[in-house]
Amino acid sequence: MSTDALLAARGVAKAYGSVVALRSADLTVGAGEAHALLGANGAGKSTFVKALTGVIRRDRGTITMAGEPVELRSPAEGYERGIAAVFQDPALIPDLTVRHNLRLTGTDPGAVRQELAGLGIEGIEIDERVADIPLPFLRMLDLARALVHRPRLLVLDEITAALPADLAEKVFTAMARQTRTGGSVLFISHRLEEVIEHCDMCTVFRDGHDVARFAPQEGREARIVQSMLGDRVEAEVAAERSRRNVADGVTPRLEVEGLSAGDLLRDVSLTVRPGEVVGLVALEGQGQDALFETLAGDRRPRAGSIRVEGRPLTARHPAAAIRRGIALVPADRTLALLPKRSIRENIALPSRARPARWGPISRRREDRSVNRAVERLSIDTRAAAQARRLSGGNQQKLTIGRWLAEGFRTLLLFDPTRGIDIGTKRQIYDLVREIADSGAAVLMYTSELREIELVCDRALVLHRGEIVAELPADAGEEALLNAAHGLHRDEVTTG
Amino acid sequence: MSTAVTTSLPRTRRLRGTLADRPVLVLSAVFVLFYLVTGILDPSLFSTGGLRSVLLLACPLALFAAGQTIAFLTGGIDLSVTMTANVAAYVAATQSGAGPLQAITLALVVGAAAGLLNGVGVGVFRVHPLIMTIGMSSVLLGIVSVGLASGGFLTGPAVVPPLLTTLGGGTLVGPVPMNVVVWAGASVVLLLGLVRTGLGRTIYAVGDNPTACRLSGVKVWQVLIATYVIVGILAAVAGLLISGSSGSVGPSQTNSFLLPSIAAAVIGGTSILGGSGGYAGTILGALVLTVLNRLLLTLGAGQAVQQIVYGAIVLTLAWVYVAVSGQRTD
Amino acid sequence: MTTPTPQLTTMPAPTSRAARFRQQHGWVVGVAVLLAAMILVRYLQVERFGGFELRALTAGTLMLALLAMAQGVVVLSGGINLAVGALMVLANCFSAWLMEDASVATCLVIALATVVGTAVVSGLMGWLVTVSGMPDIVVTLALHFVFVGVALLILGGPGGGTNPDFSRMVVGGYSDPLPSLLWLVAVFLLVWVPFRRSRAGIATYAVGSDRQAAFLAGIVVARARVQAYVLSGVFAGLAGIATTASLGSGSPQESIALGALLGSVAAVVLGGVALAGGRGGLLGPVLAAFVLTLIPAILLSAGANPNVAVLLEGLIIIGVVMLGGLLELRRRKQ
Repeated sequence: MSTDALLAARGVAKAYGSVVALRSADLTVGAGEAHALLGANGAGKSTFVKALTGVIRRDRGTITMAGEPVELRSPAEGYERGIAAVFQDPALIPDLTVRHNLRLTGTDPGAVRQELAGLGIEGIEIDERVADIPLPFLRMLDLARALVHRPRLLVLDEITAALPADLAEKVFTAMARQTRTGGSVLFISHRLEEVIEHCDMCTVFRDGHDVARFAPQEGREARIVQSMLGDRVEAEVAAERSRRNVADGVTPRLEVEGLSAGDLLRDVSLTVRPGEVVGLVALEGQGQDALFETLAGDRRPRAGSIRVEGRPLTARHPAAAIRRGIALVPADRTLALLPKRSIRENIALPSRARPARWGPISRRREDRSVNRAVERLSIDTRAAAQARRLSGGNQQKLTIGRWLAEGFRTLLLFDPTRGIDIGTKRQIYDLVREIADSGAAVLMYTSELREIELVCDRALVLHRGEIVAELPADAGEEALLNAAHGLHRDEVTTG
Repeated sequence: MSTAVTTSLPRTRRLRGTLADRPVLVLSAVFVLFYLVTGILDPSLFSTGGLRSVLLLACPLALFAAGQTIAFLTGGIDLSVTMTANVAAYVAATQSGAGPLQAITLALVVGAAAGLLNGVGVGVFRVHPLIMTIGMSSVLLGIVSVGLASGGFLTGPAVVPPLLTTLGGGTLVGPVPMNVVVWAGASVVLLLGLVRTGLGRTIYAVGDNPTACRLSGVKVWQVLIATYVIVGILAAVAGLLISGSSGSVGPSQTNSFLLPSIAAAVIGGTSILGGSGGYAGTILGALVLTVLNRLLLTLGAGQAVQQIVYGAIVLTLAWVYVAVSGQRTD
Repeated sequence: MTTPTPQLTTMPAPTSRAARFRQQHGWVVGVAVLLAAMILVRYLQVERFGGFELRALTAGTLMLALLAMAQGVVVLSGGINLAVGALMVLANCFSAWLMEDASVATCLVIALATVVGTAVVSGLMGWLVTVSGMPDIVVTLALHFVFVGVALLILGGPGGGTNPDFSRMVVGGYSDPLPSLLWLVAVFLLVWVPFRRSRAGIATYAVGSDRQAAFLAGIVVARARVQAYVLSGVFAGLAGIATTASLGSGSPQESIALGALLGSVAAVVLGGVALAGGRGGLLGPVLAAFVLTLIPAILLSAGANPNVAVLLEGLIIIGVVMLGGLLELRRRKQ
């Protein structure tokens, strides 16, 4: 691992109108180095990466590759300069076949097939339409395509997010191969364990500039988090939760039996009692999406039953579930937000849903409920006029705030902290516990295993469309991950 | 979920800020400017009669444009408004024997029915509004043709009810024609309705993000049906006023209003993609376009030049709006 | 090299050949079958189904088919072109104005010049859309006004003319269906198909399917969109020439432009092209154009009141489109 810099960025800045996304960022990646770029939401990471790879134009600053200045106008130009980027959303056209997609970027299909074989990926047909291929494989295809170009710098922008563990392993294998042969990797991720295990150096961004550069093995999570948050952070303690009095005799709020829906959900049974937070753990694509959609009333089940407070629920539209007190907070904020409308309108949306509520609005009553939600969640209202101007964390809080204002008895949270900075994550954890303490039943799916211990009372593990294990909240990440892979099937402990 | 906002040019940022937030101000200025220029060339415009003639033409356009505005807000468009207006006018005229109130009510019902069909097509069958309303337009034309053919249900004495002649062509006071009263009533309901009622909120919401609406319990098809029914009724009212002002009904009386109705909503700042905008800007858009028409007529420009200038001005104003607000569609 | 870690996540089974064919071409096959059925009906209806009848069909559809292609290519790129009808009228009036009392050779040159002209103008329109950031509906709508106005300037009213031999060359004599059909096939095979197979053609689909992904894949999105508009202008210009040849004159009327526009959109939708872009082809819209021309002919011959025929036409269009919407809905739910 030489110390010559391959990539040197100095003073990169970018503003969108009056919003400064990047103040002045420096980043150096050595040759043969796996370098992580970390930072909270809004710290400027993604803007920097976009500027580096040519997706957007930077306002100021210099970027050099092996000493030569680089001015990219599009990611494709990057290939010629030795920079290949793989983004979270694969750069593949859904309605075209893989073959046509490769033709567009002038990539040889044979070479791509070789790379895929080298990674141990099989099953991708070249004449298959991209829309028919699941996302994790598209990411691997995108990765293979980038590798074909033998880049000097491989940029991986959060591609391990929502990637099953076995495929994520292949990403790391590719990374290792890249650095072994003298190339470099710029690895962006929210998953600190991955960074610590696979990266040689890391740079932390905060408030639009770089604040720290060190080897992640030294200092580990604590140092990373400290740099991201900027002040002394108390050591992460598993929340001291008073044992919630979840009496056994209480009617469960939510009872699911033999539920089957979509392609992936086969046979799920579970119960959630008022006052408890049940965590759901699963690898990508095990049926958790269909489960939540069905519980929220957005999808009809093929078989099985759902009972809410003892009475069966058959929903053809989310309105039916909402009427029974079920609220869904999806992971993808683009599903839940009204981008051009104000905070107030976003929060008040469910209250206007039924035609009976289409009449004149009582401003004062609405003010009260909206302000209450905003305060409770500490939503930053500076960009109140349009929800799309809010940061990711605030947007997520807005989605939760909507249901706080409307009221609910059962809360479904689907990966609520995905892509959100640590500060907001903590707020959400506290909020979820508060909500459960006040009597609501909470079912939470999370892709971050440590959240189970922080927030939940017990954990259910979903694998191949069925619940294969129930573990206590403090079972530990390894046990959870094993169960999620379908191993130790017979180890089912009652909570 | 961030949308890239283009960097606005650094100069005169405060002015642009005001322009972006208050397009109504810009449009008012443009309206006054056009009015003055036209008036200089044709001083009769400054008389009560002159102002009245402008308002008389602007009202039906403003009603059609109101319908377009609401359709735009949901992310749709309605190309059948002028045909709906025609049918409504015919119905009122041929039913006038049964009394003005009955005739008018029937005409409004017909407008609502046309809107209902549009709404069902768009909301329930998920047909693209452009296509659905084009098809509807054909169907309505067909209905008129069938009705007007010998022995059809639209033959027989077609007399515009006197109530409509008054409302459509009469004068309230001085330069204010009676149809302004009708339009004003409708405007108040619309302006308040869009901002202060739950339905107004859901209309904006559906245009902004229908998925979010569904997940929040909104039945999008209901909102769309309500939307197009309202548009249909507005179109019917416009048709009635037009027949009132001309004193007769004809198969293509309203056609010239179709594209200008879309233009007025666009100029007024309502995005054709949905979720933002409002009726206030559209009103001014309608006024600007009406005066523009008058200006071109006064200049003695032939129909050809009129059309070219009209198109160029719509283009320019729409471009200015996009440039100032920085909200590109790509 | 270390053996790669075992793969636990598996790919779903690839779609079979048959399913893929159905996915891609199902709708077009349906339209083709419908067209064949309608031709059969017409054959049974008419006493002497010969050259005259066929010519009426092919020559009568030539304009609409070309316009359907003009609209289709822009829709595939993710946009819409509300000015196709106006461009056709402009091409019609311009060529008729010049072709009056001209020789066949001169007519050909004029025709070529006209098509190049509409292509350039349409390209400028596309450039305007990409540069300004305005929705294409707005730009093409505004220019619709302008083009009709220019046509009016050129020909104050219906007028102009063309060389009768030129006319015969394009649309054939009264019983000769071949020229119009051959021209259509030629344009389709020599202009559209090579384009569709080329990288520019794939880029057009890419931009219509997912603009952001297309950009990330290195496509110059603006250029692809403008190319679609240029091609659209070529087809619209050809449609105008076809009209000149067919009618022997030019007609600068707004109603014609509007009717042509509506017809082009109907043909595109009936032809199975998704309005959102990225899916479909131009064969469907061309076949749909024939279907649309046959509907009134069949209805009238069946004794329907002409006015009822107009009504039925509209209802059929809505019906088919609603059906298409339903099928699309069901497809999405799976």
